[in-house]
Amino acid sequence: MKRFSVIIINFLLLGVPALVCAAEGLEIPDELNKKINLANLSGFSHFFAKWYNDNLWVYAIMVTLLMGIVGLTIAVVADVILKMIGMEVSKIEHLE
Amino acid sequence: MEIFQIYLPIAGMQFNALILVAIGFSVGVMGGFFGVGGAWVVTPALNAFGFPMAYAIGTDLAHMFGKSIVATAKHRKMGNVDAKLGILSIMGSVIGVEIGARNVMWLTKLGIAGPVVRYVYMVLLFGLGIYMLYDYATKDKRAAAQAAKVAVAARAGVTPPAKKSWNLPPMVHFPTSGITISFWSVTGVFLFTGWLSGFLGVGGGFIRMPALIYIIGCPTAIAVGTDLFSVLFTGAYGCLTYAVKGRVEIFAAILMLCGASIGAQIGVTAVKYIRGYGIRLLFAIMVLLAGISVCLKQFNYISGSQWMVMCAALGMCLVIIIKLYQGFKKEQAEKARYAAKEVKP
Repeated sequence: MKRFSVIIINFLLLGVPALVCAAEGLEIPDELNKKINLANLSGFSHFFAKWYNDNLWVYAIMVTLLMGIVGLTIAVVADVILKMIGMEVSKIEHLE
Repeated sequence: MEIFQIYLPIAGMQFNALILVAIGFSVGVMGGFFGVGGAWVVTPALNAFGFPMAYAIGTDLAHMFGKSIVATAKHRKMGNVDAKLGILSIMGSVIGVEIGARNVMWLTKLGIAGPVVRYVYMVLLFGLGIYMLYDYATKDKRAAAQAAKVAVAARAGVTPPAKKSWNLPPMVHFPTSGITISFWSVTGVFLFTGWLSGFLGVGGGFIRMPALIYIIGCPTAIAVGTDLFSVLFTGAYGCLTYAVKGRVEIFAAILMLCGASIGAQIGVTAVKYIRGYGIRLLFAIMVLLAGISVCLKQFNYISGSQWMVMCAALGMCLVIIIKLYQGFKKEQAEKARYAAKEVKP
């Protein structure tokens, strides 16, 4: 009986978010319909601005990947530098 | 300062690169130390220096993604990331954010969204800050009371009564945090923190981090690392979705990321030298200052509110850097003393 009531409560709790979500509709904000003037741009600025104008999905994927790559690169380089100056980290004791 | 002026093609304006790196740096230090994304600092800071608001949130989320990779990687090395708890937090938060966003839409239709959200924000920030300060101030008293209870139980030859908690199955064990808790308690907490972040329009790190400590029962350092793990995913999604809408200024994001990555290294390393309660105290002060900033905004002191949050962030960075330096010096001195003892037989 106890097991059965636990299963029933679990199912009821699972349904709570779905019920709340179903109550209201969500408005989607408008996109920025802007085109960048490429005339005075060169190099990377031109490259990214061109993709921004042509295909925002490609631009978005490039931005996300670039952020990840730059973040990872800095993490690795900083780790090496900190190790050199004796500030490397290892597992710590969790003292409150 | 002229030499640092660069042209940002997406936003179509000149901006000082040094300011972007400096904002990134200060948010990086705080993010690595407190485990928060820092949107509540970045957006007003960028706005105060004239960065277009249309790009501020997207650019902030983009740099947040890169920064949280740096900080999470380092926290993982220190054993501060509970991936299982982090994944559960993401699932709960996503649903909560959706519900929160729908509630805001409903309030917008009623025409009361602005003041309601701001008042909830103020109550939350002040309530959280004051509670954390109270918790810090009474920690010794509570520890003494607990020790006395254990001593009495030991004399009587019985085990002290366990803390009461809601144990509705299924129970989930989190080995990294060392806790076993009902799946529903964890999901409920993350649903609520997600709802708050959706309702207030913030990343939610500053709500999740104390929730992990006070409600779930995580050690402070693990709460910080696990929260950053969640920020990594929300940052990645935020970066992609805002970039698709054309709202990410890529060059500004990279400059901020460079500053933030260095800052995050400092912030995370400082966690090694400051005990859990020290982190909670500094976090409480920062949350209270953010609350004052929201109050100023509510009473239309917009630039005062922006400068307040920026100065608070810079001041907090300075405190964290000083604490890191002191801890590092102390560790070096201890190492030297230990080495001298080893040499002297």
